[in-house]
Amino acid sequence: MMAGLPFAFGAPAILFGLLALPVIWWLLRLTPPRPQAEPFAPLAILARVLKPEETPSRSPWWLTALRLLIAALVILALAEPVLNPRDRGLSSDGPLALVIDNGWASAPDWDARVEAAGMLINEAEDLDIPVAIVFTANRRHDATPATFEQARDQLRAARPQPLRPERNAAVTALVAALGQTRPGTIAYVTDGIETADAADALNRLSALEASAIRIIGATEAKALALTGADNGAEALDITASRLDTAPAESFGLTASDSKGREIAAGEIRFEAGAAEATGTISAPFEIRNDIARLDVTGIDTAGSVRLLDDSFRRRRVALISGEAADIAQPLLSPLYYINRALSPYADLIEADSDEMSASIPKLLAQSPAVIVMSDIGTLPDDVSTSLSEWVDRGGTLIRFAGPRLAAAPADSRLLPVLLRKGERELGGALSWIEPQPLADYPATGPFAGLPTPRDITVRRQVLAEPTSDLAARTWASLADGTPLVTATDRGAGRIVLFHVTAEASWSNLPISGHFVDMLRRVVQLSRAVAGGGEAGSGILPPWRLLDANAALLPASGDARPLDLTGGKVPAAGPDNPPGLYGGEDGFVALNLFNSGETLAPIAIPEFEVPVTRSAIASDSAVDFRPWLFAAALIALLADTLIVLVLNGAFRRRGLRPSSATAMVLIAGLSLSVFAAPGTGHAQDAQPGDADLLESLDRTRLAYVITGDEETDNISRLGLDSLSRYLFSRTALEPGTAVGVDIETDQLALYPLIYWPMSEDADMPSPGAISRIDAYMKSGGTVLFDTRDRIVDLGGGSSILTLRLQQILASLDIPPLEPVPADHVLTKSFFLLDTFPGRYSDGPLWVEAIPETDNPAERPARTGDGVSSILITGNDMAAAWAVDEQGFPMFATVPPDPWQREYAFRAGVNIVMYMLTGNYKADQVHIPALLERLGQ
Amino acid sequence: MAPIGQLTRPTERLDVLARARQRAALLPDCLAEARRVANTVIAGWHGRRKRGIGETFWQFRPYVDGESLSRIDWRRSARDDNLYVRDREWEAAHTIWLWADQSPSMLYKSDVAIVSKESRALVLMLALAEILSRSGERIGCPGVMEPVASRNAAERLALALAHAPIQTTLPDLGRIGRMSDVVLIGDFLDADETLESCIGPAARRGVRGHVIEVADPAEETFPYSGRTEFRDPETGQKLVAGRAETIAADYRKEWIARRESLAQGVRKMGWSFLAHRTDRLASEALAAAHGHLSGIPAAKKAAFS
Repeated sequence: MMAGLPFAFGAPAILFGLLALPVIWWLLRLTPPRPQAEPFAPLAILARVLKPEETPSRSPWWLTALRLLIAALVILALAEPVLNPRDRGLSSDGPLALVIDNGWASAPDWDARVEAAGMLINEAEDLDIPVAIVFTANRRHDATPATFEQARDQLRAARPQPLRPERNAAVTALVAALGQTRPGTIAYVTDGIETADAADALNRLSALEASAIRIIGATEAKALALTGADNGAEALDITASRLDTAPAESFGLTASDSKGREIAAGEIRFEAGAAEATGTISAPFEIRNDIARLDVTGIDTAGSVRLLDDSFRRRRVALISGEAADIAQPLLSPLYYINRALSPYADLIEADSDEMSASIPKLLAQSPAVIVMSDIGTLPDDVSTSLSEWVDRGGTLIRFAGPRLAAAPADSRLLPVLLRKGERELGGALSWIEPQPLADYPATGPFAGLPTPRDITVRRQVLAEPTSDLAARTWASLADGTPLVTATDRGAGRIVLFHVTAEASWSNLPISGHFVDMLRRVVQLSRAVAGGGEAGSGILPPWRLLDANAALLPASGDARPLDLTGGKVPAAGPDNPPGLYGGEDGFVALNLFNSGETLAPIAIPEFEVPVTRSAIASDSAVDFRPWLFAAALIALLADTLIVLVLNGAFRRRGLRPSSATAMVLIAGLSLSVFAAPGTGHAQDAQPGDADLLESLDRTRLAYVITGDEETDNISRLGLDSLSRYLFSRTALEPGTAVGVDIETDQLALYPLIYWPMSEDADMPSPGAISRIDAYMKSGGTVLFDTRDRIVDLGGGSSILTLRLQQILASLDIPPLEPVPADHVLTKSFFLLDTFPGRYSDGPLWVEAIPETDNPAERPARTGDGVSSILITGNDMAAAWAVDEQGFPMFATVPPDPWQREYAFRAGVNIVMYMLTGNYKADQVHIPALLERLGQ
Repeated sequence: MAPIGQLTRPTERLDVLARARQRAALLPDCLAEARRVANTVIAGWHGRRKRGIGETFWQFRPYVDGESLSRIDWRRSARDDNLYVRDREWEAAHTIWLWADQSPSMLYKSDVAIVSKESRALVLMLALAEILSRSGERIGCPGVMEPVASRNAAERLALALAHAPIQTTLPDLGRIGRMSDVVLIGDFLDADETLESCIGPAARRGVRGHVIEVADPAEETFPYSGRTEFRDPETGQKLVAGRAETIAADYRKEWIARRESLAQGVRKMGWSFLAHRTDRLASEALAAAHGHLSGIPAAKKAAFS
């Protein structure tokens, strides 16, 4: 066994062979690798070329090091190294005393602990000595030295407990059971965590004067405990403590709700050497309030789980002030102090208007847990009724006094005590009395335990009418006994009154830290949601208890009710194991660790007898010999390869190392390709793809199928005719026109969609309109045609214009204007000044272009991109449409043959504008550009 | 990891003869250029395309006074009033000394080469012997075989080589007459002066010669890498290169420079120099040597670059 390491050699003498390593080093350095022998006749020529210093007579140092490593590995392997060697040798002087920690930290490796203890019992069986066994977390101990069968039964029956070990009690039982018998070996299977009584217990063990002491598990002990959870403003802050501080480590955190569903996750990271760490779970406020339990992923112990109850939840606090908030002077606003005091601990909502009857119901609708009212004297009747109903349902109303309250008529409905009218001034010009400090907090009130503030003085307050139960309702009072904070339960809720203002005019309470503590206590006392179940107070029965493996199980066994009457939660112990106390309606969570507690390794005092320490898994003796031999073999193979490479085995075959690597890579790749055939082909084909592909290779003009057969026919024929015109006159060779169903078809394929209005057509559905909207926003253009000679877009009265207005009402339409004379539409192919269709006099509306500074210099204007909308009333398709014989289907109005030609030219310009965009506008600069280039 | 080069066993001479015949069959008969042997009067089998002493009819020409009457061809003269003399074609044989290096360094063969250098050198020598003897030249091998004028000179040379001791050093050219040709085939990896001191006196005497350097491609391109120990097959001397690939470029430069200086030295003496690599076909060297022996300028230009 090596000192401090669970490591031993079966044949340590062989380790002296390591001394030979320097000699091997020297030999290896001297002996070069055997060269390749070659007969070579022109040696004289070679001798002229070969410089002597270029022939290294020694191996490279790393090759030598590798060979030394091989030698060292072989020597080490021959020395039979063993990890975690079994350590035999119980003292046979007396009974074996087994002390086993079965606290919360022993749960993860309990089986290994039982196995370790079982091996000790086996050894005791071999030596035929009795065994006394105690479990430190058990409430009752039976430590009488017994036979190994009984001890084994005891061991099998023992379970880890979700508690901290009570080592002193166990040792007491052991000492009592042993009586005068001197134990042979004391074996302590510990979880390695320090407890308050550990040192005492170990000292008493030492006093038993055993022949040998064996401590198992103190080394390499690991444990992690969640010691606190704080629902902060932005996230849930979790503190944790761990036992071994060495490496940096991360643990996942899981938050589950009361039904066990995981609702949030986080991470906690221990820095190297740090025993404590803080993690966060970021989640919205509502989700955080649902968290009922926090777990550390992968660790299931009673310590690594944190149960949360109502008191943990973040409260929603509504703030109402009597006076209008003055932003300019925040320090004079009472809500400012409350806001600053509560915002780290609660979610604050404020009234959005000064009108109480409107704002308070709005606040109530958000179901706050607490409402803070600062200096509000009277409330409208309906508001005060609804407020008191809210209090009855479980809300907590915190009120602050002030001039208005002092002046208000006595109204006991929303006050804990009856107030005298007017306020009392202490230490003023007309008063004999000095400003008063606070008295000690009553021991039973919610402020019990807070340090009594000595630096707070109250100069002015409202006074309560003395009643018989005034003392019981007083949570805090001044030194002269007048109450400062009074409270009363109202229904399921509570009303708390601070007899001073919430700003610093009456006392310096609001600017002291105690104000924060007091408000926080009060808010913590409130129910998370007004109207929720019964909050815990008094004596609560155990409801759900944690077992050692962090499972919540129905209460059973000897858990006792949780006594909360003392005002604070007792620590978890054998009587009150960690878990939930109360009932389904309301419960208090009792955790094994309170915030601020940390884990520390157990301090083992010096014993007079030899102490053997070992890790728990003693049967995990690992023989290193095969591994070392394997390592030596691998190193030997590597050495062979290196020698081959050094001697040029691969280069000589014309196979350079790079190409060899490439070949290996290629082989690997092809293997992987064969191993996973077909994974590279995603099945992304969808129905209709063939149609899409067909439409893609040719530009097509599209029209909207309105449902009116005649209109659709005219659209089709008109666009076909225009396509032919484009084909013959321009470089564009469009395909046949396509009718699109805007409800279903893919619109993105078409640069321009012609949409004639039709009386008989159905109004398009909102879905279709939104598709058109998306089409226009993604770069497409719709040419609306009302076909009714509209002149004015807004004032049209025809059905078709109205229809267009209805459609446009749900579209996101930019400002429009008739095509200005310098618009690029007038120049994109033909030079045009009108855009006639069947009718000649209607304008064409396009997206309005912002005016440029110097319109005279720019013969054509365009915005960025293309107008997404064009509106005409000239019935263009009818002008374009020709029948099968090639005759125009409709006469133009007026009947001018050139008008049809101009209609075609207008169509060409529109299509060209669509396809070329502002490129055509830039074309007009060509003369200027050429001039600048000096052509 | 097998070495790149190896030393082969000495080649069986008769086996080489068969291969040499194969090579030789690829080439037309070789006529050794013999401008400078006008005075060699040993009758041979090969006509010189001019009148002289020989056996084959060359031309009839009018009798000139003073000529021996016995030379008049009476049968021709009887046809008309003039006297004619029958001229015969001048037939002259030329002695060509062939020599191939068979030192241990010639036994080297790398894995990119087709055959060992020794094998290639023997093939070249015997093929030349075959071709030249077919043309009627007298073939000799210094120290192995006296010149013979025989159709089966190649065979006889192979036989003589098989029985002769292995030729490891450059031959003694002192005995060679000044009007002969010498063809030396080898790797010439000895010190530079060796070759010069061997052929220098002969060249000054007027002996024409051709040097065919046979090299293994590995010796030229130096494809070695890694830690390599090089051993000279003749001296047994060793050199270790730590990372052979790093000196390859330098070595190649040095090799070419040495070959250049060797060729310079050889050409300065009026001899020709031909480099041949064993990864090429033997016929290439044979054709080049053939062209050179025949004095074909084009072939000379192409082959002796």
